[in-house]
Amino acid sequence: MDNILLAIIVLGSIGFCFSLILAFLGAKLKVEEDPRIKKLMEILPGLNCGACGFSGCRAFAEAAVKEKRTFKGCLPAGEKVNKEIGEVLGLKGPTHKPSELLICQCGAKKDEKKLSTEYIGPLTCRAAESIGGGLDCPYGCIGLGDCLKMCPAKAIYMEEGRIRIDQNKCINCGKCIEVCPRNLFVFIPRSQTANCYVACSNKDKTLLVKKVCEKGCIGCGLCTRVTESPYKLKDNLSRVEYEKISSAGPLIEGKNKCPTKCIFSIND
Amino acid sequence: MNELILIFISTLLVNNLVLSYFLGICPFLGVSGKIESSIGMGMAVTFVMTMATTISWLIYHLLLLKFDLIFLEYVAFILVIASLVQIVEMFIRKFSSSLYQSLGIYLPLITTNCAILGVALFMVTKKYEFFEAVIFGFSGGLGFSLVLLIMAGIREELNFADVPGNFKGAPITLITAGLLALIFMGFSGLVSS
Repeated sequence: MDNILLAIIVLGSIGFCFSLILAFLGAKLKVEEDPRIKKLMEILPGLNCGACGFSGCRAFAEAAVKEKRTFKGCLPAGEKVNKEIGEVLGLKGPTHKPSELLICQCGAKKDEKKLSTEYIGPLTCRAAESIGGGLDCPYGCIGLGDCLKMCPAKAIYMEEGRIRIDQNKCINCGKCIEVCPRNLFVFIPRSQTANCYVACSNKDKTLLVKKVCEKGCIGCGLCTRVTESPYKLKDNLSRVEYEKISSAGPLIEGKNKCPTKCIFSIND
Repeated sequence: MNELILIFISTLLVNNLVLSYFLGICPFLGVSGKIESSIGMGMAVTFVMTMATTISWLIYHLLLLKFDLIFLEYVAFILVIASLVQIVEMFIRKFSSSLYQSLGIYLPLITTNCAILGVALFMVTKKYEFFEAVIFGFSGGLGFSLVLLIMAGIREELNFADVPGNFKGAPITLITAGLLALIFMGFSGLVSS
């Protein structure tokens, strides 16, 4: 009985001594953290997507508090949350840039793209690209879905062998732009009433394009011959100049004139 | 004095805690990715190990032996180690937040680093005097840091090596650790203990 009591006393007093030291040092070495960081962490979506340019939501919150600005802002969060972030930091004015529409500049379905060779190897676009892509068209979508795997919001999906984007899910992080070996992804402004884009990236001449794809832009220039046409031909490839659009009319008209139907509207 | 030097060399190289006793493997593999964080970890472990052995020796000889409470040694030693780790954590968090972040979960895990409890228990079984125990703890920590540093250096180079796919990650790390242990076996015979 004595032994047990002694054990309790000895161990208890050792523990008590250490807890006293710890309590003292704890008070002395306390790390003050800006309460705004915690507040921001509660507001931020916590996706750690990295669209803001920082490694994660916490890194963004720390940098924002430290430098008192919001950089690009939180792209996936939308306007309301970004306003709140600005309020926490005591900032006035816009706290993020408006979100844009993501487009993939290759609109050919699987049976429209020509394949004269078969690709056997690791099923990633990067690997395929290093030996030519296994696709006759040297500019088009290889279709092995590196962008699908990379997208943190799962906004990209494949439909009949062509890349589709769910604009409501896209958080504008731009990871697909980096990962696509053929640089097919581009952001276009959201503000227009009718958003059309040329879903082809082939810079070759008419005959070469026709050889490899049924839906390629052959560089005929019909879309540019509409009054006030926002389309412009460069390197045998038509592109929309979004800053020149004044109304939706010529955009749609040019789209309807395309002989290969490679001009898409956002919902196509 | 000779005795102390002998203990130092023997614990540092010949009977290295990690490579010949297999103690503290978890932080050895976990934190050896970058040289910078491995130095921080090594310093933290060396400090905790030296202090833990010293305080454990005092507690063991002044309290436990005196009151015939040797069965409390594990609990008492763990108590010492846990408190020391807490202190180290506070210091690192206060003075180097980048080191704090790079050590991450491995910092509180020093508490359960078996190398530290191992050193404290070896000190008892080997019946060391006070200064011998202090040197033993210090050289144990230094040995751990040394091996951690070597490993981190190798692994930083390994990042650029063309490792076959099946060996990437943990397998190549374990193989490297095995080869290191093989090398350290070469020290046996340096001191006969």
